[in-house]
Amino acid sequence: MIVVEDVHKRYQTEHGAGKWVLKGVSFTIPPNVSVGLVGRNGAGKSTLLRLIGGVDTPNRGRIERHCRVSWPMGFGGGLQGSLTGRQNAKFVSRIHGHELDIPDRLAYVADFSELGDAFDEPVKTYSSGMKSRLQFALSLAFDFDVYISDEVTSAGDASFRAKAAEAFKNLANRAGLIMVSHDEGTLKQFCSAGIWLDDGRAQWFDNIDDALMAYKESITA
Amino acid sequence: MDNVRSSASITLSAWNALFLREAVSRVSGGRAAWLWLLVENSAHLMILMVLFSTIRHRIMPGFDFALFLAIGIVGYRLFRNTTMRSMAAISANRALFAYRQVKPVDVVLVRAFLEGVIQLFVGMIMFAGMSLVGFDALPHDPLMVMVVYGLIWIFGTGLGLMLSVGSTLIPEIGRVAELFFIPMYFLSGVMFSPSMVPPALRDWLLLNPIMQGLELARAAFSPGYHVVAGIHVDYLMAFAFSSLFFGLAMHVRFARRLLMQ
Repeated sequence: MIVVEDVHKRYQTEHGAGKWVLKGVSFTIPPNVSVGLVGRNGAGKSTLLRLIGGVDTPNRGRIERHCRVSWPMGFGGGLQGSLTGRQNAKFVSRIHGHELDIPDRLAYVADFSELGDAFDEPVKTYSSGMKSRLQFALSLAFDFDVYISDEVTSAGDASFRAKAAEAFKNLANRAGLIMVSHDEGTLKQFCSAGIWLDDGRAQWFDNIDDALMAYKESITA
Repeated sequence: MDNVRSSASITLSAWNALFLREAVSRVSGGRAAWLWLLVENSAHLMILMVLFSTIRHRIMPGFDFALFLAIGIVGYRLFRNTTMRSMAAISANRALFAYRQVKPVDVVLVRAFLEGVIQLFVGMIMFAGMSLVGFDALPHDPLMVMVVYGLIWIFGTGLGLMLSVGSTLIPEIGRVAELFFIPMYFLSGVMFSPSMVPPALRDWLLLNPIMQGLELARAAFSPGYHVVAGIHVDYLMAFAFSSLFFGLAMHVRFARRLLMQ
């Protein structure tokens, strides 16, 4: 369960404190629920994911994580370009305290990401689809209760997306997912509930379709 | 939530992972990167030797001039590399803060440690090599040599911690620090001994803790080396530990600001 309570966030800019990105966001994500986050560009979706992932801290309010939460998988984050996919995977295993069973984790990542020989090439040579496959495989190699995905699924091709969605369905009885995607199909494929971020506030929908509808109405209105 | 890792064990596993990763990219990144680490110091020594043996002949009482230079080069580069590498640690590892187990202070400390280890090996190989070709490069007081180089390394780490925070919050600080190391090289007495300098100027030069450190290292290598008055290991030690303290304090104070993008 993740409790987000009255979270405010703004960033420091070159001209002092910036505008409030999040102004009083509150919701509770129950265990084993997959949530899609929708909203305009700049509405604070990635910011909220970073806060939930514990990478950044809110200026006001609090976030309680009563479970193991993954890092926010997203573009560029968490991978070192000069190292190979394998070396990156070893690094992530080590910081998560899996020094002893690195071979098992590596085997899983190599198998799930389907990178083949590219697994031993530097990550900077990867395409964005390959990067997202590596990131996805990496996070699935560890037992989290909640996985956080920032647009990472939409970069993979259709077959990989189907595979990832399948993997999540199998996890559904013991893990949840929080994801941002601009692709409606992806959101419907992965998520059941939805959160609509608008003007620094969040609205919870038990059904992702309702969240998408509210979001679309706000754009056309 | 059944088996929660303690904060200490998380930090230790993060340090372990960061260290291995930094070491891999430092030693095997690029063509024969490890060879360059060795060549840099020896080339530095050779250039200075050529300079001083052709342009002017310098005699150092109680010392072989090549060894005199080598002690200074090893100490100065230990200081400079530790400071500069740790200063750049935060911006170079920004992608890793996506994992909440990794904090800015971790990447700086790990880099400083790795740089210390590398310079330790480079220094030992250099002095061993000099002994092999006939120089009297074995220290007279090895314990003191270790203490002095250790303090220089701690001072570099402390300064690196402070500058890493400073240059992340105010990028200009990083540029100024780089410029600052140019005069610092000449003011640290890598190429000369303070005993060659007129006393009025010498008192000013001795305010530099690195100059004091290099002199202490030379004295520990050769018992016959004349050290001018006013050099104490306490002075360097005070700089080393106060910079370490303030560096760590700055990381605590600005922990949140450093993580913001």
